Amino acid sequence: MNIHNKTVFVTDADSRSGQAIVQSLADAGARFILNSTSDGKNIEDIVARMQQQGLKFIVINVDLCQRAAIAKALEQATEEVGSVDVLIHNNNLVKPASVEHSSEETFFEVLNYNAKSALMCTQAAGEIMAANKSGKIIYVSSIHAEKPTGSSFVYSASKGAVKMLSHEAALTLGRDGVQVNTIELGPVEGDNDRFASEVSHLYEDYQYKVPSTELGTYEDLANLVLFLASDASRYMNGSDIRMDGGFLMHYLDVKMNKPWPEGGAT
Amino acid sequence: MNLSGKIALVTGAGTGIGKGVAIGLARQGAKVAVHYNRSDAGAKDTLEQIQAIGGDAIIVQANVQNKDEIVRMVKEVVDHYGRIDVLVSNAALQLNYRFFEHDETTFDRMMQTNLKGYWQCIQAVVPYMKQQQSGRIMLMSSIHGKRPGDFDVVYSMTKGGIRMLGREAAVELGKYGITVNTLEPGAVDVGKQSARESKPFLDEAEVKRRKPNEFLKKFPMGRVGKPADVASLVCFLASDESEFITGSAIRLDGASVHL
Repeated sequence: MNIHNKTVFVTDADSRSGQAIVQSLADAGARFILNSTSDGKNIEDIVARMQQQGLKFIVINVDLCQRAAIAKALEQATEEVGSVDVLIHNNNLVKPASVEHSSEETFFEVLNYNAKSALMCTQAAGEIMAANKSGKIIYVSSIHAEKPTGSSFVYSASKGAVKMLSHEAALTLGRDGVQVNTIELGPVEGDNDRFASEVSHLYEDYQYKVPSTELGTYEDLANLVLFLASDASRYMNGSDIRMDGGFLMHYLDVKMNKPWPEGGAT
Repeated sequence: MNLSGKIALVTGAGTGIGKGVAIGLARQGAKVAVHYNRSDAGAKDTLEQIQAIGGDAIIVQANVQNKDEIVRMVKEVVDHYGRIDVLVSNAALQLNYRFFEHDETTFDRMMQTNLKGYWQCIQAVVPYMKQQQSGRIMLMSSIHGKRPGDFDVVYSMTKGGIRMLGREAAVELGKYGITVNTLEPGAVDVGKQSARESKPFLDEAEVKRRKPNEFLKKFPMGRVGKPADVASLVCFLASDESEFITGSAIRLDGASVHL
């Protein structure tokens, strides 16, 4: 899976998923344009390591809801790290938002951060890739593009929107040699807090709803990203890949592989 | 389907699918609030068609991009009819802009109407339906909430958002006796009534390339949908018989997605 010297644009590089993806692709010899809202402060370790490895990269901090600003940043990055080959849209803002009570402010904050940014990044990077007749676009999405959260309707709505963006872009940009795919990541450590809900019991005993009882990690995610970013995935286009260890196959909380207390459940 | 005594609000009922749905509900005995924003002549026509079949309807106006106007509109309906049983969120924008033609502003406008507007209409009816411990909410989506249409990326994004809004609303509002379902029509013949600023669905070159009726090859039944087809499903979902159907998305496209 060769992505040596490919130029990879990663959004929200500060996030746990972003850091794992950058580490993994750096080990494979990629170059980077990293969007970091901390101006690189939260990824100092990764940056130092890339410097040691002699990798080319730049750290930017642009408003991802402004297409012209993104396009300008990508243009300016060309001289240093080359023309963008891979976009990894990795924006996943979760905020509690019930259908009944959420405010309009929260609605737009989450929708724009997750979905508007995805369109603007896709247009800015996609234009360059289409001109080069080659490129990869990967959206790091969530099982909540399909499964309700019961806690943040606007998160799942934003991911539903990104899913359709991915399908449309797979057609439009696919005609110019670009492959566009979505990863629907399932539960990782801490998601029970992130999606805490009074409506849905999805994350109750969530580890045991994964048949193997092992939660996924962001390293698992990074492995799939690496595949989708490489030439090995050239026939993958317009796919939504659910990666959740079988979590969503679970139904009615039966037959969980859960260690019951001594003497049976109370 | 007997809907007598039921009060329904249909947004975007001055034109197209919304008009057909409003008339269809009235035909089954529901009293209908016919909403419009700019299509005042269309709303008046819907009202007259309902009255002509002996139905009961009123016209309400609101810009669904504005929450205060939505809240005021729903209050008007309840003030007039005493309750609200059915909401059909249908008023939506389809601009047919090409992939790279969309920008920050067109994204905002379409999300404002198609996703935020749908959501805030739900927010506005919930207090009444909660009190009644019953209610039927239908969200007019499209097959393009699940598969691309290749004519307007943001349109599909809004429909993908509605797909999840419908599921979330269903799990959240079930405890109040409210059902929420999403309708996914395919191509529906609505005459020449699309939004004034919409671009043509297909480029001129594409239109020229196509043989007459080539489009219909994609429809096993040899025709596209009619607003009345959508109305039939809405009437069923509004009826007492559909009580346990919630969180569903029902495709009605004459099996076009399978060809």
